[in-house]
Amino acid sequence: MDLGDRRALTIIPAYNEADCIQRVIRDLRERAPWTDVLVVNDGSRDATAQRAREAGARVIDLPVNLGIGGAVQTGYRYAWQEGYDVAFQFDGDGQHRASRLADLVRPILAGEADLVIGSRFLESRGLRATGMRWVGIKILSVVLSLSLRQRVTDPTSGFRAAGRRGIRLFAREYPQDYPEPESLVLLHKQGLRVCEVPATMRRRREGTSSIRPLHSAHYMSKVLLAVVMDLFKAPVHLGEEVA
Amino acid sequence: MYFFRWEHRVALILAGGVLLLTTLELIRKRRLREEYSVLWVLTAVGILISGIYPRVLEWVAMRITLHPSVLMTFLCVLFLMAILLHYSVVISKHSEREKGLAQEAALLKDEIARLREEVKEVKKQPPEPKPRPPALRT
Repeated sequence: MDLGDRRALTIIPAYNEADCIQRVIRDLRERAPWTDVLVVNDGSRDATAQRAREAGARVIDLPVNLGIGGAVQTGYRYAWQEGYDVAFQFDGDGQHRASRLADLVRPILAGEADLVIGSRFLESRGLRATGMRWVGIKILSVVLSLSLRQRVTDPTSGFRAAGRRGIRLFAREYPQDYPEPESLVLLHKQGLRVCEVPATMRRRREGTSSIRPLHSAHYMSKVLLAVVMDLFKAPVHLGEEVA
Repeated sequence: MYFFRWEHRVALILAGGVLLLTTLELIRKRRLREEYSVLWVLTAVGILISGIYPRVLEWVAMRITLHPSVLMTFLCVLFLMAILLHYSVVISKHSEREKGLAQEAALLKDEIARLREEVKEVKKQPPEPKPRPPALRT
């Protein structure tokens, strides 16, 4: 992947991922050596930070557990501060493929989008959600598609890329509770452009999803409520671009 | 027919006075920030006033056809809801700040580690010979 003189950072939020973090980092360094790797250790109680450093990633250690939203935002703050042009969000549990990062970055390099989502549902292959979770994601995607007035097939995907404007917004404001779907509403409110590209994901080997199947219905109702609340929120004023 | 008898008025004045003095004392000892004390002071003053001029409460109760005791209960609930809402706002503000501070601390820690590495590198290298000052032309 040729980025020209632009620099890319891959943000991996990690909470107790010591078992798979090294594999994830090695995968990135092999298949996407053109991106720097930043692990945001969200107050893990295991050796996540140490393992990540051994594997050659830069690690930022949060002093307290902030949850996924706070951890990812730390990565965006770092990306903004260090002047990165592209920032990827990548899971620490090995379900995302480093080889697909190049697909995510293309719309950003072409100046077509400020945030690109890797969607499991644009192509009918690879791992997809099943049962209740599928229903939940479907409902959410309908609500978000209507709110954003554009088709969104995989609003809960954590496999995403942000351009300069996306980084800037997220460094300043990033939702805490259900960051993936909520951040889409935020982007829309700020007039930033979102697009999706097809992505396949692996079945996770270790750890469990933050969305447990049994709790899907409960989770979805809370996400929907959060999204509706977001629609009412006033936009964020970012001021002049300095960096 | 008046609702508040003198015993009620004494009780209200005592309660309002104690609340007001307690609040002021906490502010004086710097254990309560003025910012968070406004609601308490206002309530204490409200209770005091209704003890000193109970006719005001009775008049309002009559106008909205409520028994004065019901009106007082209603006002109490209203006050409690206001203070709870106020607390929610304060908690939200603080959790947002705490998040920002935790992130800032983590980023700064990383920057210190990086600077330490750089200092180490610089110290390892032998000092460069000082360039000779150019000869002065006279």
